[in-house]
Amino acid sequence: MQIKYILPLLAVAGFLFAAYTVISGNKPVPVAKAVTEPASAPFKSFIAGAGIVEAQSQNIAIGTPLPEIVKTVAVKVGDQVKAGAPLFYLDDRDTRAILAIKIADLAKAKADVSVAKATFSDAKSLSDLAEAVTDRRAISSEELLRRRNAMLIAKARLESAQALVQQAEAGVADTETTLSRLVVRAPVDGEVLQVNIRPGEFAQAGFLNTPLLVLGNLDQLHVRVDIDENDAWRFDKNSKAVAFLRGNRRFKVDLTLAYVEPYVVPKKSLTGDSTERVDTRVLQALYRFDRKQLPVYVGQQMDVFIEAQDYSPSKDSDNRQDAKGSSS
Amino acid sequence: MYYIALKMLIGDKGKYIGIVMGLTFASLIMTQQPAIFLGLMTRSYSFITDVGLPDIWVMDPKVQFVDDIKPLQDTELYRVRGISGVEWAMPMYKGLLKARLTDGTFQTCIVVGLDDATLTGGPPVMLEGKIDDLRRSDGVIVDIDGARDKLGKPSPVPGGKPIPLKVGDVLELNDLRAIVVGIAKVTRTFQSQPVVYTTYSRAKSYAPKERKLLSFVLVKAKQGQNLVELTRRIRETTGLAAYTQAEFKTLTFEYFMHNTGIPINFGISVLLGFIVGAAIAGQTFYNFTLENLRQFGVLKAMGTSNWTLLRMILLQAVLVGSIGYGLGVGLTALFGYAMRNTILAFKFPWQLLLFSGAGVSLICVFAAIISILKVIRLEPAIVFKG
Repeated sequence: MQIKYILPLLAVAGFLFAAYTVISGNKPVPVAKAVTEPASAPFKSFIAGAGIVEAQSQNIAIGTPLPEIVKTVAVKVGDQVKAGAPLFYLDDRDTRAILAIKIADLAKAKADVSVAKATFSDAKSLSDLAEAVTDRRAISSEELLRRRNAMLIAKARLESAQALVQQAEAGVADTETTLSRLVVRAPVDGEVLQVNIRPGEFAQAGFLNTPLLVLGNLDQLHVRVDIDENDAWRFDKNSKAVAFLRGNRRFKVDLTLAYVEPYVVPKKSLTGDSTERVDTRVLQALYRFDRKQLPVYVGQQMDVFIEAQDYSPSKDSDNRQDAKGSSS
Repeated sequence: MYYIALKMLIGDKGKYIGIVMGLTFASLIMTQQPAIFLGLMTRSYSFITDVGLPDIWVMDPKVQFVDDIKPLQDTELYRVRGISGVEWAMPMYKGLLKARLTDGTFQTCIVVGLDDATLTGGPPVMLEGKIDDLRRSDGVIVDIDGARDKLGKPSPVPGGKPIPLKVGDVLELNDLRAIVVGIAKVTRTFQSQPVVYTTYSRAKSYAPKERKLLSFVLVKAKQGQNLVELTRRIRETTGLAAYTQAEFKTLTFEYFMHNTGIPINFGISVLLGFIVGAAIAGQTFYNFTLENLRQFGVLKAMGTSNWTLLRMILLQAVLVGSIGYGLGVGLTALFGYAMRNTILAFKFPWQLLLFSGAGVSLICVFAAIISILKVIRLEPAIVFKG
C-alpha cells in the first residue's frame, strides 16, 4: 500500500523540481556593461567622424639643411621655444677649419693690398718726379713713359688686390653662413613635441618618415575630423560641433570651425592600424577648441559629432515623387 | 465510488506501475528531447544573447546568421553613428582564428574584438580579472569552458585532464603573443569553440590581413526611439542590414532550422517518443480496463450509471497521467541538473512544461476514450456469463 503514497509524492516532487528548473534555468543572461559609456551626440541629426588633435600650426617636422652628425641638442621635449631659438647643433669642426683658412686668406689679401699700395705710391712718386721736371731735355721721353706706365701698372695691381680682398671677404661670409646653417633654429614660436635625434646621431637631410624633431604651437589646438565622402554633402560650415574625449564622455568641448580642406583625400586610418585598408575618401574639416577645457594631448583621437540637417532617404524619394507628380 | 476506482487502479501493483512507467517514459522523452533541441538552438544565437547591451546589430545585407561574417569598411561605423536616433554605435570584430597552444597543437577559437575605448559588448560574467584588463598590452579574456578544456595545457599524465589556462598564461594567436588577463563565463556556442575576447584594434592585428575587418556595428538607440523605425532608417541610409536583437536571433534560428538536419532529427525522436509512449500507456491502460471489465459490469449491474463509470475511468486516467507526467518532467529536470556542467545543451522553458503536459494529456485522453467506449458498450449480463 505504500506505493499508493510514494508514487504521487514522487510525482509532485518531480513536478516541483521541474518547475524550479524552469524558473532558475531561464533567468536572463546578465548584460555586460560597457567599461565607459560611449559618447553620444547631443544633436538630433548629425554627422559623426573620427578626429585627431593637432597643433594649430600643424605639427612641424623640423628638417636639417645639411646632412651632418649632431653635436648637441639644445632642447628637450616640452620646451617652449621662441622663433629663432637654436634647436640642435650639427658638427661644425671642418667648417670652422675652412673658416680659419678663409680668414687667413683675407688677411693675406689685405696684406697684398698694402704691398700693392706701397708699390703704387713708389711708382706714383717716381712718375710724379719725372712729370715735375719742366725741362724736357733733362729726361728722356722713354724714361718718362716707363715711369708713367709703371705707375699705371701698380695702380691696376692695387685694384686687383682690393678685389681679392673682396673675394676673400665673400669667402669668409660664405663659410660663416654654412656655419650658421649648422645650427637648426625654431621657425616659429612653439613647443617641442618630439625629439628623435640625439648627439652623435647622423641627421639626414630631406624628407624623413620619422622627423628629427617635431615642433608645434600648442596655444590653440585643432582637431582634424574625417567626414566620409558619402556624408560630405550634409556637412554645413556653420553648424555646431562637439568633440568627446575617448574613454570618458564627461570630457566634451564645443568646436568652432577653423577651416575645411577643400581637397578630399583618401582616408588614412585614424582609428588604429597604420596600414591603409579602406578605399574611401574623406573630407577633412579642422576645428578649433579651447585647450583649457580638456586634458588633451596632441595626436589623441576624439569622437566628433557635427550637427546636420535631418535626412532620411524615404523623405527624399517622396520629394522626387512629388516633383514627378507636379511636372506631369 | 471514487475510492473503488482508486482501489481498482492501485490494487494491481504491477499493472499500476506499468501504466505509470509508460506515461513517465513518454513524458520524459517528450520533455527531454525537445529540451536538448531547444538548448542546441539557443546556442546558435547565444552570442547575441551574451552581448546584451546594444539594441540593434548592423551588418552586411548578405549575412545569414551570426557566425556568417561578411566584413564591412571601417568608415561604415561613422556613417551609422551619424544617423539620427542612434545613441552610440560601436565596432565589433568576430572571427575564427587559430590559436597555437603550448604543446604545438592548433585550436580554432572565436575571437571577439571590442571597441578599444569603451569595451562594449564584453562577456556577461567575469570569473577572474576585469574587462578593463583588456587595456593591458596583448591582453585577452578567455571563456572558462575553453580555458578548462580546449585551450588547456596538456596533462602531465597521458590521457588525463588538461591543466586549465590561468590568468597570466600565454597563447599564440596567428603567430602573435596573447596574454590571458581574465576568465569569463559565456553561454556555450553552437560549435562549442573557445571564445577569446580582446580589443578591436588588437583583434585586427591578430586577424589575417584583409581590407575589411569590421564584422558588426553595435547600435544603441536613443531613449524612446522606435527600434523598427530606426532599423529601417539605418537600412535606407547606409544600405546595410540592421536587425534588432530579437530579429537577429530569429534570423540565426531560422537559418539553423532551414539549413541543418537538427530540427528533423529531434522532431522525429520527439514524435517517436510520443508514439511509443502513447502506445505503451494506451495499451496498458486499455488492458487494465479490459481486465477490470468484470468489476465494471458488476457495478453496472448494481445500477451504477454510465456517467459515474465514465468519471471513474477519467479519474484513473487523470491520476496515472499526472503521476507519470510529474515523474517524467522531474526526471528531465534531474537529467538537466546532472548535465549542467557538461557540453550537453539543455534548455527547459515553461512552454515545454505545457507541451509535454499536453502530450501526456493527449495520450491519457486517447486511452481513456477507448476504455470508456468499451465500458459504455458493456452489457451488465457479461458478468454472469463466464
